[in-house]
Amino acid sequence: MELGAVVVVPVREDLMSIHEAQPQALQASENSRPFYSSRMPILGNDIVRSWMERVRKLGLQSLWLTSSPRDESVDRSALAEFARQGVERLLVIQLKSYAEMDLADLLRFHCESRNPVTEAEDARGQLGVCLRDYLALQATGEKSAFPSAPTDSGPTPYQFRGYAKRILTAKERQELVRDALTGACAMRPLGTEIRERVWVGEGANLADSVRVIGPSYIGARTIVHAGATIGPFASVEHDCVVDCGTTVERSTVLPETYLAPGLLIRHQLVDGGYLEDLSWGAVADLRPAGLGSRIQRREARRQAFREADVHAPAGRASARDFAPSSTASQPWLRVQL
Amino acid sequence: MKATPWTILPFPCGASFADRRGLRKDLLVALRDSGSPVIVDFSSCGTLNHEDIDLLLECAAQAAGRETKVLFVAGTRVNRVLLEVTRISSLVPVFNSVKEALAYPQIPTENEVEDLRVSQFQKPGSA
Repeated sequence: MELGAVVVVPVREDLMSIHEAQPQALQASENSRPFYSSRMPILGNDIVRSWMERVRKLGLQSLWLTSSPRDESVDRSALAEFARQGVERLLVIQLKSYAEMDLADLLRFHCESRNPVTEAEDARGQLGVCLRDYLALQATGEKSAFPSAPTDSGPTPYQFRGYAKRILTAKERQELVRDALTGACAMRPLGTEIRERVWVGEGANLADSVRVIGPSYIGARTIVHAGATIGPFASVEHDCVVDCGTTVERSTVLPETYLAPGLLIRHQLVDGGYLEDLSWGAVADLRPAGLGSRIQRREARRQAFREADVHAPAGRASARDFAPSSTASQPWLRVQL
Repeated sequence: MKATPWTILPFPCGASFADRRGLRKDLLVALRDSGSPVIVDFSSCGTLNHEDIDLLLECAAQAAGRETKVLFVAGTRVNRVLLEVTRISSLVPVFNSVKEALAYPQIPTENEVEDLRVSQFQKPGSA
């Protein structure tokens, strides 16, 4: 039976458009909605790549990468198109969790239970990993034509008992950071362990007076100025600048973020000019007060990459041949494993 | 201990440059000269910019080393977060509302502490 795989990255399209059209709109946001993407690295690790590696171990040569608004599954017509293209079984991974899952075991369970759809769950519910067989794929596209076809509800779920953590909120993400820094899961920070539970990425620059309290991580090419304190349980991702005297504790600083001097970042997540408090869920705009910002030097490169992402499917034979890209609202990328 | 009346001062956010300058002067004078505790209320400010942060730091500096006690009313969680990030909340007590701030126990000033000691000393049966 031909197996295909799709990784779906949840995006907050509404929030992205607010950022672009009304940058002031988030200044006084009090809600707990996350404002970062689950594609952001965690201790230098790309969660998509960790799933890709698991898919590769199943023997697949490639997978499809797409995006979808949060809490929505991938475009149904696109899934059904996989069935029409000859894919009889599809592994759909929504990037809303990090799970140390043996996908071969999931596949084995799926085959043995003979369910058309198998959802992976842990004690907290669905993990966003699902196997769909031909019949179920067809039913997703033509539900009305197959009223008796099995649907998503009903079949026995695959109970996953290994390590799993949701990554859609800043708080969950920080829990994963903590677990990875303390060895509670298999993820390891991407860098050199310069002393016990202190990891530093390639090209990071720390002033002599910087105090690093483990467990902590400082990403590649990040600059930490004099008198700053990093840790414990802190993750400063790649290409950040932490200015003099600032403390980052039990927090994450996402890539390409500048933090002004003398700040206290405690139990918070900072992404460029925005900060989310993990206790209150309040999102503050740091820019008007000059407390934080996105480092501009890579902004242009990122924008170019984003545009390339959007337009890539039309330019690739594999994507052009694939009918869903013409009907689906999201771009589809074929990634070689 | 004497119950001292509070002075509540609105924070000059969102005002024009001239108004802001006037309010800023009033605020700093009140902090410097007022014998009563001062509540600086910026709960109507949607967010704080760098001028606001500077002024709040100045308020904290004016109150430091004086008998004047200063309290901040942040209003929103976002403002509270900004005060924590800038460490201002470690210098000055911060509240969500004026009502909460008014309920804050008044710490006796140095003179009042002196009065208190004298009155305690004069109590019959005291050592």
